[in-house]
Amino acid sequence: MSDLDRAIEQLRACRLIPESQVRELCYKARELLIEEGNVVSVDAPVTICGDIHGQFHDLMELFRVGGDVPDTNYLFMGDFVDRGFYSLESFLLLLCLKVRYPDRITLIRGNHESRQITTVYGFYDECIRKYGSANVWRYCCEVFDYLALGAIVLGASSELEPTGPSLSDTTQSTISFDDGELKTEVLNSHGEVTMSSYRPRMRSSSDTSTDSRISPPRDISAGTSQTGPPLRTGAPGTGASSDGNGSASNSRTGAVLCVHGGLSPLIDSVDKIRLIDRKQEVPHEGAMCDLLWSDPDEIEGWGLSPRGAGFLFGGDIVKQFNHLNGLSLVARAHQLVMEGYKEMFDGGIVTVWSAPNYCYRCGNVAAILELGEDTSNGGTIARSNGEYGRSNGAMGQDMTTVVSPGRRYRVFEAAAQDTRGMPAKKPVADYFL
Amino acid sequence: MAAPNIPNLNTLRRGRGRGRGGPSRAEGSHGARSLGQDRVVQGTDNDASVSRLSAVELGYLHDPYATPLTAPENATRRFPIINRGTYVRTTAIDQLVGRFLESPSQGDSKQTKQIISLGAGSDTRVFRLLASRPRSSLVYHELDFAVNTITKIRAIRSTPLLQQALGIESSSQDVTVSEAGDELHTPSYHIYPLDLRSLATCSAPSDLLPRVDPTLPTLLISECCLIYLSPTEAEQVVSFFTERLFAPPSNPPDAQNATTQGSKITAPIGLILYEPIRPDDPFGRTMVSNLATRGIQLQTLHKYSSLEAQRSRLREHGFTSGQAVADIEFIWDRWVPEDEKERVSRLEFLDEMEEWQLLARHYCIAWGWREGEDTIAFNGWTALQAQPGN
Repeated sequence: MSDLDRAIEQLRACRLIPESQVRELCYKARELLIEEGNVVSVDAPVTICGDIHGQFHDLMELFRVGGDVPDTNYLFMGDFVDRGFYSLESFLLLLCLKVRYPDRITLIRGNHESRQITTVYGFYDECIRKYGSANVWRYCCEVFDYLALGAIVLGASSELEPTGPSLSDTTQSTISFDDGELKTEVLNSHGEVTMSSYRPRMRSSSDTSTDSRISPPRDISAGTSQTGPPLRTGAPGTGASSDGNGSASNSRTGAVLCVHGGLSPLIDSVDKIRLIDRKQEVPHEGAMCDLLWSDPDEIEGWGLSPRGAGFLFGGDIVKQFNHLNGLSLVARAHQLVMEGYKEMFDGGIVTVWSAPNYCYRCGNVAAILELGEDTSNGGTIARSNGEYGRSNGAMGQDMTTVVSPGRRYRVFEAAAQDTRGMPAKKPVADYFL
Repeated sequence: MAAPNIPNLNTLRRGRGRGRGGPSRAEGSHGARSLGQDRVVQGTDNDASVSRLSAVELGYLHDPYATPLTAPENATRRFPIINRGTYVRTTAIDQLVGRFLESPSQGDSKQTKQIISLGAGSDTRVFRLLASRPRSSLVYHELDFAVNTITKIRAIRSTPLLQQALGIESSSQDVTVSEAGDELHTPSYHIYPLDLRSLATCSAPSDLLPRVDPTLPTLLISECCLIYLSPTEAEQVVSFFTERLFAPPSNPPDAQNATTQGSKITAPIGLILYEPIRPDDPFGRTMVSNLATRGIQLQTLHKYSSLEAQRSRLREHGFTSGQAVADIEFIWDRWVPEDEKERVSRLEFLDEMEEWQLLARHYCIAWGWREGEDTIAFNGWTALQAQPGN
């Protein structure tokens, strides 16, 4: 077993690794992250996660619900540290996994991955308390500076595979697969479907395009191969292939942009994000700051943020940005949502929040978002890639047919803290007494 | 999809944690409270003073008296939302108190006013008030457990700054302290070592608090205090003042009778309550269960769980001249002037807007008053913006 695997094992048990090992880990992580662009490309299937905030036991619950690394491909949208009592264990575990399985986990930067914020919100104090000096905090902050600012998810399927046979049974009695594609599904932590919504199936009758994609015949048994590689949430199954014609529309699933906060008035294209010099402390203003601090809001255009950094942006801004960039969805974190996730602006943006009972006080549930892999084109997917120059040409007429990806939300509650020998401190949340 | 190799810790939690908040909901558990629970309630004062000091040190509040009244070993920096909440709570009560003290009472020749603070603990308000206005205009009474009054009196005796504020630094003949060191009397400030529950059962109200003048315009303050009592006790404590110590307004047929006898003057009396509300949403439920693990039971929380419940509580207590309530989020939004908001926002990054709103919606300030038959003292409160709805 390598040192790295041992470190992973130790951190999974919520036990810290020695300072010298942290130093080495951070060095390796930086070497790895420096190679990543500001906007990392990630292929579906992927599971997108929001804020973690040092809630280590809940991160374990997340892995239990969403699948373990490297079985599941993860994308974490920042805010690993601060507020919770286990920022170090949480961040170092994620970092170890990143170094160990670089292609199976993507970490992007949140506004709390900053020197200034971590001195106010707890991570700095935790480092001092647990390591006796600020060294580890310094190593971690240097890694923060190298984290990517965003990610583009490519090749997500527009249609979800129904989760299990039980769902198919109930669904078939009420709605025919021919009538709709499974668009959104919400599952609880036991894997039971609590909500599903469909979109009308796109017909290709008016499609004059020559490259009309007919779904190739697919292995029907794939849908039941639950014991196989567990990644293929979007694996072809009866739902899609039973209706080859119907699903072979000319629609494309647009790319998904993932950032911690949101959009910036200084950024009108994904390419502009790529031009930022990101290897620095999060500035107080400017494009980089906005990406990590902004929030969507029910306004038109741009507004001032009550947070004192970043901006508020309205549905018109999101629609335009998605349109110009061939995106179908912006996924972001940053805001506590009591239900774990919240879609806004006709599904053009979603907030994913992955810290249940935030700060051991808020009583919220958490969620992760799974995007399945689009296999409808036999692997050579004509996809919008979010790259300015290339995708722009066809955009004119084509844009109207960009379809949003099928979304599967897994909702979960806070983990019980004091079981299975994991060290746990009784959480003491402050109130006004 | 799920990873079967990772244990589901939530399957193990049943039976252990679920019932934690249970007993706190049971009404009628009053009287059965143990000494241990009293100690827990007494300890909540430490939360308040540590939060106050944190807000002072970061510049939210100006209060030179916070340091001498906080145990130095407890001093710690609170998170920004807690600091902002402490700021809003303190300045909002300051504003209500200030308006009560500053509006000249009509029909009252003495122009002296009286404040009675229930469960005052280490509160600094009396020092701030007495240091900044003519001492003859205000008499301030504080009631709390002896454990808390002893600590406070010890701090006063050892801190010249506190003595100066009270105007007692040179004239020691004006000051009496009980042998046990738990009771203090100065011309304008009185500390009584008193379990509030004893008010409920007391047979001779004026004997218990002889220095409280029932003819003066009076303001009662319960800053997160009555909520620790049982609903019945909490009610009895307020009634002790509004019905027993202070004569309630006589019924119209008796009015003439009462004045001709000249025995009773119905002085204006008001009440400020600061306490948590909304226990029944996810945040509220978590709050109840988190505090229960510390042994803290918010006993009246379910009875006065909404803005409307607080209003009708004030109505039922006979504060007929006005009853109003607002949660802390509303008060931050509507009472705090824009330039002040900007100043406070600049003190610290407040990243957690959603959490702030959640937290601030679960605390309220309620204020109600009844004017005297001949005296009006709460004019200043009528202009304050209250929050409609539930």
